[in-house]
Amino acid sequence: MASGRGGIPGPSRALLVLLLPALLMLLAFSTSSSAAASSPGAMHNNNWAVLVCTSRFWFNYRHMANTLSLYRTVKRLGIPDERIILMLADDMACNPRNNYPAQVFNNENHQLNLYGDNVEVDYRGYEVTVENFLRVLTGRHESAVPRSKRLLSDEGSHILLYMTGHGGDEFLKFQDSEELQSHDLADAVKQMKEKHRFKELLIMVDTCQAATLFSQLQSPGVLTIGSSMKGENSYSHHLDSDIGVSVVDRFTFYTLAFFEKLNMYSNASLNSLFNSYNPSMLLSTAYYRMDLYERPLNEVPVTNFFGSVMNTIHTDSAYSGFLAADDIGTIPSTGDNLLNHAVLQNKASQRRSNIEEVKEAQVRSHGWTDVLLEQLDVKNADTIVMYGLGTMGILLAISTWLSM
Amino acid sequence: MADAVMPTRRLVVTPCDRVPDLWSGTPQQLNHAAAQNALTSPALMAAAPPALRRLLLLFSLLLLASVAAAAEGEEEEEFTEELLLRPLPDRKALAHFHFRSSTPPSAAAGRHHHVFPKAIAQLVQQFHISELELSFTQGRWNYEQWGGYDPMSTNYAKPPGVELWAAFDLPLDEIDATWKNLTHTLSGLFCASINFLESFTAFSAPRWGFKLNEGNLRYGALPREAVCTENLTPWLKLLPCRDKAGIASLLYRPSIYKGYYHSQKLKLTSSQSFGIIIDQTLTVVLQPDTFRGQQLHSTDGQLQPSWSMKDLFNRKLSGKCRVSKSSRVFLEIEKDIVDKSGTEASWTNELFVLSTAPDRVLKELNNMDAQSSSLYEYDVSNYNNDKPLDVGITWKLPLIWSCTPAPYHANRFLMGSGNERGSIALSFRSTNLHKQLFGSSNDCSIKAVVFQVVPWYVKVYYHSLQIFIDGNSKAISEVVDKIHVTPSEDKHLPGTLEMLLRLPCSMESATLSLDFDKGFLHIDEYPPDANQGFDIPSALVTFPEFNSNRSYLETDTLFVSPLLQTFKEDGVVKSYTEVLLVPLTTPDFSMPYNVITFTCTVLALYFGSLLNALRRRIGEEERELKKPAAKCGLIPLLIAKLRGKKVDPPPQGSSPTSLLSTKLLLKVVFVAVVAVSFHYLSNS
Repeated sequence: MASGRGGIPGPSRALLVLLLPALLMLLAFSTSSSAAASSPGAMHNNNWAVLVCTSRFWFNYRHMANTLSLYRTVKRLGIPDERIILMLADDMACNPRNNYPAQVFNNENHQLNLYGDNVEVDYRGYEVTVENFLRVLTGRHESAVPRSKRLLSDEGSHILLYMTGHGGDEFLKFQDSEELQSHDLADAVKQMKEKHRFKELLIMVDTCQAATLFSQLQSPGVLTIGSSMKGENSYSHHLDSDIGVSVVDRFTFYTLAFFEKLNMYSNASLNSLFNSYNPSMLLSTAYYRMDLYERPLNEVPVTNFFGSVMNTIHTDSAYSGFLAADDIGTIPSTGDNLLNHAVLQNKASQRRSNIEEVKEAQVRSHGWTDVLLEQLDVKNADTIVMYGLGTMGILLAISTWLSM
Repeated sequence: MADAVMPTRRLVVTPCDRVPDLWSGTPQQLNHAAAQNALTSPALMAAAPPALRRLLLLFSLLLLASVAAAAEGEEEEEFTEELLLRPLPDRKALAHFHFRSSTPPSAAAGRHHHVFPKAIAQLVQQFHISELELSFTQGRWNYEQWGGYDPMSTNYAKPPGVELWAAFDLPLDEIDATWKNLTHTLSGLFCASINFLESFTAFSAPRWGFKLNEGNLRYGALPREAVCTENLTPWLKLLPCRDKAGIASLLYRPSIYKGYYHSQKLKLTSSQSFGIIIDQTLTVVLQPDTFRGQQLHSTDGQLQPSWSMKDLFNRKLSGKCRVSKSSRVFLEIEKDIVDKSGTEASWTNELFVLSTAPDRVLKELNNMDAQSSSLYEYDVSNYNNDKPLDVGITWKLPLIWSCTPAPYHANRFLMGSGNERGSIALSFRSTNLHKQLFGSSNDCSIKAVVFQVVPWYVKVYYHSLQIFIDGNSKAISEVVDKIHVTPSEDKHLPGTLEMLLRLPCSMESATLSLDFDKGFLHIDEYPPDANQGFDIPSALVTFPEFNSNRSYLETDTLFVSPLLQTFKEDGVVKSYTEVLLVPLTTPDFSMPYNVITFTCTVLALYFGSLLNALRRRIGEEERELKKPAAKCGLIPLLIAKLRGKKVDPPPQGSSPTSLLSTKLLLKVVFVAVVAVSFHYLSNS
């Protein structure tokens, strides 16, 4: 293997020598490492939103207004357009029945044009189908589908999935012609989890009997909130007599009322959002299921899902993390061997222990290779190689003793 | 080659807005300074002390390099913006936005672009497009009122919905696959469902009816595609200034989508010799807000509104887009009005007065008669925030005029009733244009090309073509010169009809009819709103003998206007017909559900009763029922119920269970003791 990498520069060759024991260790501890890999604590580093309006026809204007209100909110709170998948089942803004062309309102005071000047709709009209919805979630597209229509999330993503339309016991209607069942949703979420497509997922549904849609979910890291319990209807908030139809649903209306007070930097928690729903105002009971979610809700800011507030990772030089990742190839993918990591960290601990604590496991592999490279540059490379060989010997001895 | 050109370019001082980003501040001044440095540096260097001289040298070299780079970029990639306004006879106003970006041919794959949109360059490179046209249209161009014989109607009147055609620079067998990928890419780029054109049932390959080609052209249309802000957003993102500055800042969404006609188009031409040119146009027909100012009643009692840009777009124009090479607004006055005004084209005459004095007036070059349409030009770079441009027209007299129509008004409609069959009719009504153009000889003929694509579920019988001229049936060979039919294949190919007709000049009206059967779709193929009916895309009628190009008298040789260039180009008169709405037989979509529920009910009843009859043992059941009754007694049970207590379990039941549990406990303890002792013994 080392002969295949003859062309690599000096420091990285020394690194390879150092990494050989690590690779051996990986082989020896492969059973334990697979257990460790299954629960990676990837850091939250990006936000996505999938906003779906499933209803066709003019009288379902309010569903589009609901979705667009959420679209506007998440955009205001910092999620960029390329990370929002917006699905609108019909064209209301330029509908011939719309008295206000290119405008959509969610309030009869007409203060706020939700359609705005820069809306980007990714799936619209007949494209909004259960099939396409599940494809977006699971990421199984035809190769020709452009990036703007894909949910390109990863294991550090927080995803907000908002759906509105007409639903019933364990289903949500799409386009008045097909249904998304709770099993389908649970299956898609499970696939997403297995494909590491999200870290945390918030599913928010505004439909009749919304709570029933979540009954089949099993994947960890999923938080759900629905506008109504089983047997309850979700009602619209008010009618606009100029437009001629109801313009917003109650659950979404009060969600927006909560968010209008916030900006990108507020620390309001999910708990305060969930507690803001008053059953007497909603005329239904907002239901949230949190048994799959680990973190306490009063510690999770709403901007974790509705905004895009990111932690900055400090690196000493540009792109060195990627460089190291290329060099070591297999190691990050097979997961962090704890013992191995500990040994290497000992050497680096003088300088990096404080930074190391901040970083989580995903970046750790890049981090310690960084440190190693620095050490190799600064100190005498030979001594470090000697140390490495020494530790390898000790580790070999320990492992053989253990296996005897 | 570039090196050889460099020295001459270095000395060119261009008022450049787009010097690389390191110049924050006043780029123009710096540029001038750089040019001066370049010219005078030897003299300066001789006079300056050595340290300063070295610094100066370095500085001038740096500036030189940047000026050269900027000058090169400026000469090569260009962007122009133009707006044409025109009053229409039916009290409306036409606004036509034209943006052209061009880039020189580039060999390198990852060329850096200055003003040219990178997305388009990549598109051309990836799909080897030689020509492409994509239009999003809402509403239908009114050929009778708004004219059918001018560059505007022939180039910018488009069928409702989305129309896409592209010619590829590829081997013929790769084109279909490339087209599919192109539709997906465009759908992502323009937020529309253009990807529905990917299936074979949706696009066709016309040979000569649409545009002459060697089989490398594909054509597709989606008549029901909605057009709204989300399509305009990505279109504007291709412009260097978006809608933040320049002419595009007039695009106030509610007013442009309120119009009667709205067509947004992207035309792309690419070749090895001149690079890529994209023409982005937006044509809208608006009703001016007539609440302002005085209105004049024309003789038939209609108002001819006076309007300005503020009335049309709700805003004025404050300056140009800084990177544009030229930025102009034109106001066009139709030939018919100029005829009536009688005098030379001046901006104030007895018929109308323009709100602002134009920078120049352009006259149409026309060899047939002296009077022709005139263009009033405004250079936007003369206006700014303090002095915004608000071009408008105020009528002094009530006026009726008309636009030149196409030789024939083409209409298409459906005939027949029922859900089984019907026929498509295409009618031509003569406008007697040829009499004006060619005199009144009646033994001539006019050519017309019909191009029509019909989806497969409308099964057209092409042999049933019938032609009526002025109500009399004619033999097909008398009228049809050339015909090319690609019959439809079920679920695979749409039917395409290309037909060259020769219609006699003396004719007043002609009607063509074709019979069709309505097909059945699979239940999954019906759209969610199938009951609304299915759209057949517009047919295109072309009159190859009539050309609508217009050229204008140019006094200035440096004057280059892409908008007027497109007017000058070959513009064969075209008109699109209406979209047809065909109601198809739709199944009862809830039927499968009903069938399932009914069948399940019947089966459940059958099996339930059968099992009941087989399994139930009546005698035993009665015994079972009697047993608890004997034990408990009816009266104590009733009393217990009345008191609201639970019925106590029979006392006999409790003692066996407690006994059982002690036994179990003993067993467990025994096993534990045995296990502990065994362990102890084996260890010792």
